[in-house]
Amino acid sequence: MQEGRVLPPEQINKDLLNSIMSTPKWYWPAVGICSLIVLIAATIVGYMINKGLGITGLNRPVMWGFFITNFVFWIGISHAGVMLSAILRLAKAEWRRPASRAAEVLTIFSLMTAMTMPIIHTGRPWRSLYWFFPYDFARGIFPNIRSPLVWDPSAILTYLTSSVLFVFIALIPDFAILRDNTTGLRKKIYTALSMGWQGNARQWKLQIVAGILLSALILPVFVSVHSIVSWDFGMAVSVKAWHSTVFAPYFVVGAVHSGVSAVIFVLILLRQAYGWQDYIRREHVEALCRLLIVVSTGWFYYFCMEIIFGIYGREADEVAIRTLQFTLYPWNWIMIIFIVTTYFLPILLWSRKVWRRNLLIVSIACISVNIGMWLERYILFVPGQINKQLFTFTWANYTPTIFEGIIVLGTFALVTLLLLLFSKVMPLIPLYDIKEGDILKTEVQIGRRTVPATFRED
Amino acid sequence: MVIKIEHKWGMVVDLDKCTGCNGCVVACQAENNLPINTKDLFMQKRAFEWIRIERYWEGEFPNVKARYLPVMCQHCGNAPCEPVCPVYATYHNDQGLNVQVYNRCVGTRYCINNCTYQVRFFNFWEPTWPERLQNQLNPDVTVRTRGITEKCTFCVQRIRRAEITVERRERTKLNDKTMAARNFMPACVQACPTNALMFGDQNNQEDKIHGYFEELHNHEGHSDSRGYRILEEIGTDPSVIYLKKVDQFKMEHSESHG
Amino acid sequence: MAELKTLNHHYKDMWVFPDADDLAGLPAKATSIGINKLLLWLTLILTAIGVVGFVMRASADGLNDYEPWGYYMAAFSFVFMVTAPAPLVSVAFRLIRSHWRRPLTRIAEIFALVGIVNFVLYIPLMLMIPEIANPNGAGHHSLDIRRTLWIQVPWGAPHFWETMAMLSLPVMSCLILLLSATPDMSASIQFVSGIKKKFYMLVAGYWKGSKRQWLVMQAAIGALGGLYFLTLPFVQFLISTDFGMSLIAGWKDSIFPAIYTLMGFQTSLAAILIVLYIFRRWGGFENFIGASQFWSASKILLGLSLLWIYHMFAFFITFWYGRMEVEQNILNYLYVDSWFWIFIINALGSWLIPFLILVWNPVRRADWGAPLAAVFVLIGALMFNIRIFVGAFNAGREQIYDISITFVPDAVGPDIWDLCMVIGIIGLACLVYLIGLRIFPVMNIWEIKEGAMYQKMGRLFRGNYLVLAKPE
Ligand code: SF4
Ligand code: SF4
Repeated sequence: MQEGRVLPPEQINKDLLNSIMSTPKWYWPAVGICSLIVLIAATIVGYMINKGLGITGLNRPVMWGFFITNFVFWIGISHAGVMLSAILRLAKAEWRRPASRAAEVLTIFSLMTAMTMPIIHTGRPWRSLYWFFPYDFARGIFPNIRSPLVWDPSAILTYLTSSVLFVFIALIPDFAILRDNTTGLRKKIYTALSMGWQGNARQWKLQIVAGILLSALILPVFVSVHSIVSWDFGMAVSVKAWHSTVFAPYFVVGAVHSGVSAVIFVLILLRQAYGWQDYIRREHVEALCRLLIVVSTGWFYYFCMEIIFGIYGREADEVAIRTLQFTLYPWNWIMIIFIVTTYFLPILLWSRKVWRRNLLIVSIACISVNIGMWLERYILFVPGQINKQLFTFTWANYTPTIFEGIIVLGTFALVTLLLLLFSKVMPLIPLYDIKEGDILKTEVQIGRRTVPATFRED
Repeated sequence: MVIKIEHKWGMVVDLDKCTGCNGCVVACQAENNLPINTKDLFMQKRAFEWIRIERYWEGEFPNVKARYLPVMCQHCGNAPCEPVCPVYATYHNDQGLNVQVYNRCVGTRYCINNCTYQVRFFNFWEPTWPERLQNQLNPDVTVRTRGITEKCTFCVQRIRRAEITVERRERTKLNDKTMAARNFMPACVQACPTNALMFGDQNNQEDKIHGYFEELHNHEGHSDSRGYRILEEIGTDPSVIYLKKVDQFKMEHSESHG
Repeated sequence: MAELKTLNHHYKDMWVFPDADDLAGLPAKATSIGINKLLLWLTLILTAIGVVGFVMRASADGLNDYEPWGYYMAAFSFVFMVTAPAPLVSVAFRLIRSHWRRPLTRIAEIFALVGIVNFVLYIPLMLMIPEIANPNGAGHHSLDIRRTLWIQVPWGAPHFWETMAMLSLPVMSCLILLLSATPDMSASIQFVSGIKKKFYMLVAGYWKGSKRQWLVMQAAIGALGGLYFLTLPFVQFLISTDFGMSLIAGWKDSIFPAIYTLMGFQTSLAAILIVLYIFRRWGGFENFIGASQFWSASKILLGLSLLWIYHMFAFFITFWYGRMEVEQNILNYLYVDSWFWIFIINALGSWLIPFLILVWNPVRRADWGAPLAAVFVLIGALMFNIRIFVGAFNAGREQIYDISITFVPDAVGPDIWDLCMVIGIIGLACLVYLIGLRIFPVMNIWEIKEGAMYQKMGRLFRGNYLVLAKPE
């Protein structure tokens, strides 16, 4: 039997635009709470800029702490977008359809949030100008292209630009529908945004070609972003635990792991919040979970490589770091929680089909993955600095302060806030994609069974 | 512009002479306008010691010995801290020095992470001095602000002064003799009561430290001399040579740390 | 409806289910392919040459010292790399239910038989691998335990455990082959005779095709596949570290096993595609093997080639950016200096040429595109194995217990017996595979039948279209 009804286009428009056309009761309180947290975090950032980084827990060996961990975490989340919309689009996976827009939007917002982290982290944000932009600002000196920290902004800004383009191109047909359904100022804005979309064959063709081209072009950017972020660490010869060749693929796979989990969670929230049961269906969640089983197992493989080769050389300094990670409080607990929440718990929860279709269980698994992935970055970055080289004299622990915690919390609130605001002005599920999927859907009679089928479109 | 490498500064630390008195640390503190290391700063693990005396214990009580290891920036010939700086705040100058340009520093702290020897420091707070110490600050050295990375400079201000004085005014070359005669040497070297620290020019044949570097480069790893460089296997090519401690009384199970 | 029209122009490239006549004839056809006797003899002769090479090498240098055996190891690793993941390729595609996999699963599974060859070839290597513990004890620049993945020296390490791991692979993969071939064998019992019939009776005699049997069979294949999936990367890891990385002192490179595994999948797919092409072109299976198989597989091959260079670059940049002497030495030795030209051929074959061939849509849509790229992939992989394993075996016996390698060794060319062994080992693998083709039904009949049920052709306006059922 076909899961989910095939609805008439008018119904689809009405359902999927309800987030824009009407405002649920919880909406403004939610926005308010998020803004409040963001505001508090912003205040603390201001205080920190005024006082200096002293108010954080960073110290001499541990120069990169919560902020960088959080930066890498959000960069990781941002990898869901391309994974779901570009790769699965190229791979012709039908079940990507409802997830693609939410994933891309999450990409953009998490990238923007991630970008704030290193800027905050420097303590004097205005100076980042010299670092981010390939311009000499009359100083006669351009940024140092040998530094991974210069590769970073280039990759991230490229990714951000192309993601925005990608989302925009996918939004054009939906803008046109919004234009037709709104009045007044909003209509004017949507008219401008829809760029004269009429829905004729030529426009569709161009839109599809642009989408596919961008998918293909965005792929190398996608891979490079997290690889480069990982090379921030991999290039550091002096921190033993960081100088590992496997970092690039390890980080990319981990990013997809956490990113897709986050997208699933967002989708489930949307489904509950806006009543989109007909669009975000259990089969989609299930398919995404199946994808995640593969991704997380790949991630686990790279994780094992990283650990095994940490002790492979049996160098005293590296062994000291691994000992810290695995045996000493609090790192041993973080390690256990991280491994369980990132891999074993979710794999268990995704292992049965009934569970994969249970939204509550899936949500738990997805949140657990993201807790784990945050801790993963933390446990990867910090112990290496704590036991840096064999200068035991200077080893020191790192305890984050409450301020760092609040700023990190603030980034989560910021992403939520941006998503909420976005949902008010633009559809979070691509209308045209859903309709296309509905057209391609059909059924086939095999023996006594009716099996869902799709038109082949490769 | 032709860069002529006339000097390549280097240092030799004789561990046999070092008594761990911390005189160099204080001298550096005074010379280079380091903020006062309060108890708070120490507890936060953010104290500034451009040169630090690492102290390791060897053996079991009562048969125990203290080992001292003064560590300052090694002015690596192949410094890992340099290429990672996105704004060229740290770079190699033509005298073999690894210099830090405070004005360029944006505070990514990548160089600190990538320094093998942990000799880079970050100004977490705005550095302050008590009122009565304000006049003590060295006018030749920039006072840093918060958010900036700093480290040992081999007292580059003294080298510059020496250059100006000797080469321009006295019309002789800056070398070991002229330097010693006018006491142009880094503060830590000057302050060391046992002369455990030696400073000089690796390129200058007559310099007293030249021999140590010669020895090290010629017989890599197999020389009988006491000279070695710390964490050399990372490939940083440091400009500081350490001379092994000579033990009169050999300890059983001697196991070296660090 | 507008979209449907745009689909039409692809129709001719689609793999459409074979019609009823073809399907009925498949069992007979699949069990009676005429393999050229000449081919069999040729591979047999090659094998004989290899045996000669082996004997000569063994009598000249003995089996105790590993150094002269670099090319043997490289050839072994090449065959292992290509054949070991092949059964997994079929299991994996079955697991993700890709429709186009159906005609190629059996071709992939028959590679399981070569696993036996791998094991036999592995035995002499096991005798050569040097002791993990340093017989001279730790020295100034050397360690008391060699840098391997064995942190301590547990009982039986490495010889016993590695042998067990090597043995488990052919056992599991042959079971997968037998299980998945059972329904087909039972379907084609009537078309075979003699000893083959006896064999078919033995394996598939119990098969009635009841629902329960099907479920059990599929569950068993799934479980075995899962187990194989867990074991294979581990064995690849063992081989790549114990026979490669650990023989060059201080080579610590966490991505290398991943590259090895990746190349395993790449080369297996390549080999399968070549066989598939031969079947389509000269084997008379055009109706069962469509261009769509190559079209779908070529995308994966393209992806794997790009992944190869990505992993390689991740390795390269980390070693290059760091400044440790040992890293520079290894980079110089295996990449930019001693083995430079071999590396270039390796990179061309594993990445650049397949990439340049496969980026073009028309080429990928044609049936010859992917197999052509596959040939280069195999050449590249052979060069990879020579570079790594001959390199590792010839980096100097005296340095393996050292902390790190302090010099850049020279590359070593093959002598006549090395060449004989390389040719012989590849010949032997081909021979066993050809024999496998003669024994088992070469097409996965039940999967093709199943696939035919899932497709439906329709006609809309001016064109045909294809509907594909997605059960579940
Ligand atoms: S010791 Fe540290 S700060 Fe000094 S040059 Fe070397 S890496 Fe740079
Ligand atoms: S050379 Fe100068 S800056 Fe460096 S440790 Fe000695 S006194 Fe301090």
